[in-house]
Amino acid sequence: MAEKELAPSPRVQFGVVEEILNLCRANSLWPMTFGLACCAIEMMAAGASRFDLDRFGAGVFRPSPRQSDLMIVAGTISKKMAPTIDNLWEQMPAPKRCMAKGNCAISGGPFEYDGQYAIVPGADLIVPVDVYVPGCPPRPEGLIQGFLALEDLITKGEKRNVLRRFKRRIVKGR
Amino acid sequence: MANELLEPISEQTFYLNMGPQHPSTHGVLRLFLKLDGEYIVEADPIVGYGHRGHEKMAESHLYEQFLPNSSRMDYLSGLIYNHGYVAAVENMAAIEVPPRAEYIRVVCAELNRISSHLLWFGTYVMDLGGFTPFLYCFDDRENILDILDRVTGSRLTYSYCRLGGVAKDVDDEFIESTKKFVDRLRSRWTDYHNLVTKNVIFIHRAKDVGVINRELALRFGCTGPILRAAGVAYDIRKAEPYSVYSGDYYFAVESARGALGYYIVSDGTSYPYRLKARVPSYGNLQVLTDVLPGTLVADTISILGSIDIVVPEVDR
Amino acid sequence: MSLEDLKEELSKVVDPANIHSRNYQKDGFFLEIQAKAKEVETLAQAAREADCFLESITAADYTEGVQIVYQFNSYSSVTRTLVRVQLARDESVPTISTIYPAALWYEREVFDLYGIRFDRHPDLRRLLLPEDADFHPLLKDYGKVHAFRSTEEIYGE
Repeated sequence: MAEKELAPSPRVQFGVVEEILNLCRANSLWPMTFGLACCAIEMMAAGASRFDLDRFGAGVFRPSPRQSDLMIVAGTISKKMAPTIDNLWEQMPAPKRCMAKGNCAISGGPFEYDGQYAIVPGADLIVPVDVYVPGCPPRPEGLIQGFLALEDLITKGEKRNVLRRFKRRIVKGR
Repeated sequence: MANELLEPISEQTFYLNMGPQHPSTHGVLRLFLKLDGEYIVEADPIVGYGHRGHEKMAESHLYEQFLPNSSRMDYLSGLIYNHGYVAAVENMAAIEVPPRAEYIRVVCAELNRISSHLLWFGTYVMDLGGFTPFLYCFDDRENILDILDRVTGSRLTYSYCRLGGVAKDVDDEFIESTKKFVDRLRSRWTDYHNLVTKNVIFIHRAKDVGVINRELALRFGCTGPILRAAGVAYDIRKAEPYSVYSGDYYFAVESARGALGYYIVSDGTSYPYRLKARVPSYGNLQVLTDVLPGTLVADTISILGSIDIVVPEVDR
Repeated sequence: MSLEDLKEELSKVVDPANIHSRNYQKDGFFLEIQAKAKEVETLAQAAREADCFLESITAADYTEGVQIVYQFNSYSSVTRTLVRVQLARDESVPTISTIYPAALWYEREVFDLYGIRFDRHPDLRRLLLPEDADFHPLLKDYGKVHAFRSTEEIYGE
C-alpha cells in the first residue's frame, strides 16, 4: 500500500519537454576539437569558410570535453591513444554522442592488415558509436551528411526536426 | 622523465601535461612540461599517439600497394610524399618517366605545397587568437583543392603519382584554373601581409621566442622552412635537383616541412625489404627540447605553431 | 666542405678500404662506409667537425643481426654519406647523442622498433609504442613479412 502511494501516476507529461530539448540538442551540437589524423583536416575544412558547419548549428568546436556533447573520432586510433579517447569520453557530460569519422575509426581502414600491431580497429571497440561516416577521408559534405544523420537520430526522425523543416521551407520559398 | 613523477618535487616546480588532446598541438602530440612557476624548465615531447606501422606494412605489401600510404603520412602535402615515393622506386628500378608526367607531378606538388603553407599559417594565427586569417586561408586553400580534386580525384590523400607517370593526364582547364589561381593568390598577398605579418599582436607573440640558429639546427638536423628561417639556404630542390627541377635524380625531395627521404632496401622481389621514410618534422620537433626551456607556457603555443609539424608524419 | 675533403677526413678515423664511393645518380649516396660498432663515435665526431648534420638513423633486420644505418649530409653541399654498422644479435652500439642531440630520438626509435640497446644513451625509452609494449615490431620474426634474408642475398659478395 505504502509503496503505491510513493509512486503515483505522473501528473505532468515530460514527453513533449523531452522532445523540445532533443530538438535543441540536435540543432546545436557542440563537437569536441579532437583530431587524430587526416580526417581532422577535413573536419577543419568543414568548419571553415566554404562548408561552414555553423549553418547546422554544429560549428561551435569546444576544446574541452566538459563543454561538448559530440565526440568526432576523426582518424586512426593507435593503441597508445585508445586510453585517452576512453578518458575523454568519460569526461563528457551526458547526453553525449559519438561519430566515427573515416574508415580508420570505423574498422581500422587501410591500416588493418595481417601483422598490424599499433592500432585499435574501430572506435566502437572503445566507445559507443552513433553515426559512422565512411571515406578516406570523408569529404566535408560527408561530414555534413553525418551531422544530419545524427540530428535525425536525436530527434527520432527527420520529420520531427521542426527547425530543419523550417530552414528548408525558407530556402524553397526563395 | 615521465617516471620522475614518482619522485618528490620541490614547492616551486611542478609538471604540466599538455595534450594529446589539445587544440594547439596540431593533432596528437603530448608535451610533458616541467615548470618553475610560469617558466618551462624542461620539455619532453611525447610522440607515438598516431603510430600506424607504415614501415611494417611496407614489408608485406607490393611497391604499388604501399603508394596510398605515402600520402597518409603527411596528409597536408600528400602529393609531395607521393612524388618522393614513386621517384625513389622509379630510380631504384630504372623506370623512365615521360617529361610531361614529371611536369604535371611538379605543378601539382607545388600547388599542394602552397595549400599546406596556407593551412599552416591560418591555424598558427588561430592558435595565437586571430580567427580571421584562418577563414581567408581556407578560402584560398579550397581553390587549390578544387583544382587538385578535378585532376586527382581526391581532396587530401592523393594517389595521383604512379610508378612511371601519373594516374591521368591534365586538360586545358587545369592549366587555365591554375593560372587563374596564381593570379588570385598574388592579389591576396597584400591582404595576408596586412592581416598577419604586419599585425602587431602577431609580432609581439612570435618575436624573440624559440629562436633557432644555424648551430642548433645542425645539431638537431632541422630542414625546411625553419632551417631557411635560421639563415641557411638549404632546399633539396636547389641542393640536389630532382625531377624537372633539373637533372634526373630522385630520392630525397623537399616537402612542405623540409627534407623528405625514402630509404628503400630492395631484395629484387616486388616487395620492399625495408622501407624507411626520413621525415622532416622529426628533427624539427625535437628542437623543442632545446628551445622551450626558459620560455613562458604561453609561448609554447607560439613556438610549437611556428614549427609546422604534422604529428602522424613523425609517428608514421 | 667538398666530398674529397670529407672522404679524407673520414679515412683518418676508419680504414680507407671500408669507404666506398657510390653512384649518386643511381643510389642517392656519395659515400658508403662499413664501420664497426666501436668506430661509430669517432666517425660521428669527424662528421660533426666536417659541418655535417645527422639526416637519420635507421636499421634493417637480417638473418645475421640488425644493421644500423647512419646518414650524414651537409647544408652547404650535398655529401650524403651512409654508415653501415652490422651488429650481431644482442650486440649493442655506443650512442652518438652526445655529438648530435638529434640522435636522441632516432636511437630511441631504433630501440623501440628493433630492440637495439645504445650504450650510455641518457634516456633510452620507447618512442612510438606505448611504454608497456613488450615487442619490437620491425624485427623480421614479428608479424607477417614477405622475406627474411641475409646481407649477402641483398648486397652480394
